[in-house]
Amino acid sequence: MTIASLSTDQSPPISFPFSFFALAPLFLVLATVMLALGEGNPFAETRTHAMLAATHCITLGFMTSVMFGAMQQILPVLVGSRMPAGRLVARLSLLTLLVGVLALCAGFILEQPTLLKLAWPLLGISFLIFISASLVSLARATARNDTWAALLLSLISLALTVTLGVLQARGYATGATLPYLELATAHIKFSLGGWVLLLIVGVSYQVVPMFQLTPSYPKWLTAVLAPALFAVLLSSAVLLLMEPYPHWIAVVTECLFWLLAASYATVTLKLQQQRRRRVPDATLSFFRLGMIALLLAALFSLIALFCPTTETYLRTLSVLVFLIGFALSAANGMLYKIIPFLIWFHLFRGGMKAGVPNMKQIIPEAWMWWHYRLQLGTLLAAICAPFWIVAAWAVMLGVLLQGLLLTTAVFTAIAVYRKNVRRIILAQA
Amino acid sequence: MEIDVRDLPPPEPFINIMQALQTLPAEATLQVRIHREPFPLYDVLRGSGYAWQISALADGSFQIAIIHAR
Repeated sequence: MTIASLSTDQSPPISFPFSFFALAPLFLVLATVMLALGEGNPFAETRTHAMLAATHCITLGFMTSVMFGAMQQILPVLVGSRMPAGRLVARLSLLTLLVGVLALCAGFILEQPTLLKLAWPLLGISFLIFISASLVSLARATARNDTWAALLLSLISLALTVTLGVLQARGYATGATLPYLELATAHIKFSLGGWVLLLIVGVSYQVVPMFQLTPSYPKWLTAVLAPALFAVLLSSAVLLLMEPYPHWIAVVTECLFWLLAASYATVTLKLQQQRRRRVPDATLSFFRLGMIALLLAALFSLIALFCPTTETYLRTLSVLVFLIGFALSAANGMLYKIIPFLIWFHLFRGGMKAGVPNMKQIIPEAWMWWHYRLQLGTLLAAICAPFWIVAAWAVMLGVLLQGLLLTTAVFTAIAVYRKNVRRIILAQA
Repeated sequence: MEIDVRDLPPPEPFINIMQALQTLPAEATLQVRIHREPFPLYDVLRGSGYAWQISALADGSFQIAIIHAR
C-alpha cells in the first residue's frame, strides 16, 4: 500500500502499520469462508479441519497482522525504540505472512500436504524477520519497564509457538512420526496464553491508563504478572515432555494460569470503574467486554478440570470465548483507538499550521458502537455455537460482518488521511 | 511558563504542549508536568529546534523543561 507521508523523522512512516491494518480484517472474512466450508457444526470441537483453518485465519491472519502493525508503532511510543530496517521488515514479513497463511489454511481445508510444505517455510521466514527486528528494538529500548518485560516474554512465546507450529506442519507434510498431540497442546498454550495474552497485558499497562484515563495498574501486579504467566506456561510445556506425570500437577499449573489471567481481567475492570472521565467510549466498552470474556474463558476451563463428563464442550467454549470474546474485542478496541490517533499524529506533525481534523472525526463514533454491538452479539452466539447450529451460523455471519466493518473503517481513515495530506501540501505550496 | 497536562487523554497533552511552545519567548523555559514519558514528543521537539530535560518524580509523573535550542 502506498500512502504519502508528511514527515521524515524517527517515527515509522504511516504506510507500515496501515498495510497490516488494511490486510488484517480480510482474514476475518476468510475465516468465515473456512468455517462455511466445514461439514456439520464446525464449532462442535476445535480440531476439525475447518476449525483449524478458521482458527489460524484469526490467530495468524487477523491477530498477527494487527499485532505486527501495532508493534511497529507501539515500540517507539511505549519503550522509545523503533524497529531497525522498518521498510524491509514490514514488506518482507507482510508478504510472507500473507502467502504463508493462505497456503496453510488451504492446506488444512483441502488436506493437501503440498500446501503445508509451502506454508511452513514462508511463515517461518515471516516470524523470524519480525521477531528478530522486535528483539533488536527491545534491546535498544531506553525504557526497561514492566511493559518492556511483558513484550519480551510475549515475543519469546511467539518464537516458541512458531517453532512448535512449523515442526507440526513440516511433520504432517512429510509424514514424520512426532508426538503431535503434545506438540499441538504446547503450541496452543504458547500462542494464546503466551503471545496473545502477554502482548495484550503488556500493552494494557500503558494504553488503559493513557487512553481510558484510569489510575495506573498496581505495581504488585505489573511486576509479577507477565513473568508468572510465562513461568506457568513453560512449566506446563515441560510437563508435557515428561509424561507420565501426576495429574494433580497439571491441575495446579492450569489453575495458576487462569487465576493469574483472571486477576489481570479483574484489576483492569476495577481500574476502568475508577476512570476519571466517565463518558461513554466504544473502545473502552470493547476492552471491558474483552475482560469479561477472559473471566468467562477462565471459568469454563476451571470447571472443565473438575467435570470430566462435559470437559470437551467446556474446553471448546473456553477457546471460543478467549478468541472471539477476549482477543477479538481487545484487538478491535485497540484498532479503533490507534488508527484515529496515528492518522491525527502524522497529519499534526506534517501540517500543524494548516490545521488538522479532530481525532473523533476520523472514524465516526456511531460506527464503533455498531461494531461493538455486533461484537457482543457474536460473543453471545459463540457461547451457544458448540451445541446449536443456528448460533454457529450467527457466529460466522458476525465474524464476516466484523471483517467488512473493520475493512471499511480502515479505508475510511486512509481516505481522511489522503484528503488532508493533499490539503496540507496545497496550503504549504 | 508552566503547564500541567496530567490526566488529559491523547492527543490533548501533545496539542497543549505544542500550543504553549508557539508562544514561548526566546529565552524562556516551558515547564511541563505530565503523567507518562512522552516518547513521540521528543522527535517533534528535536525536529522543531527545541532542547529538553526530563525528570522522573516520586509520584510516577514526569517534569519536562523545554527551551529553544541554541
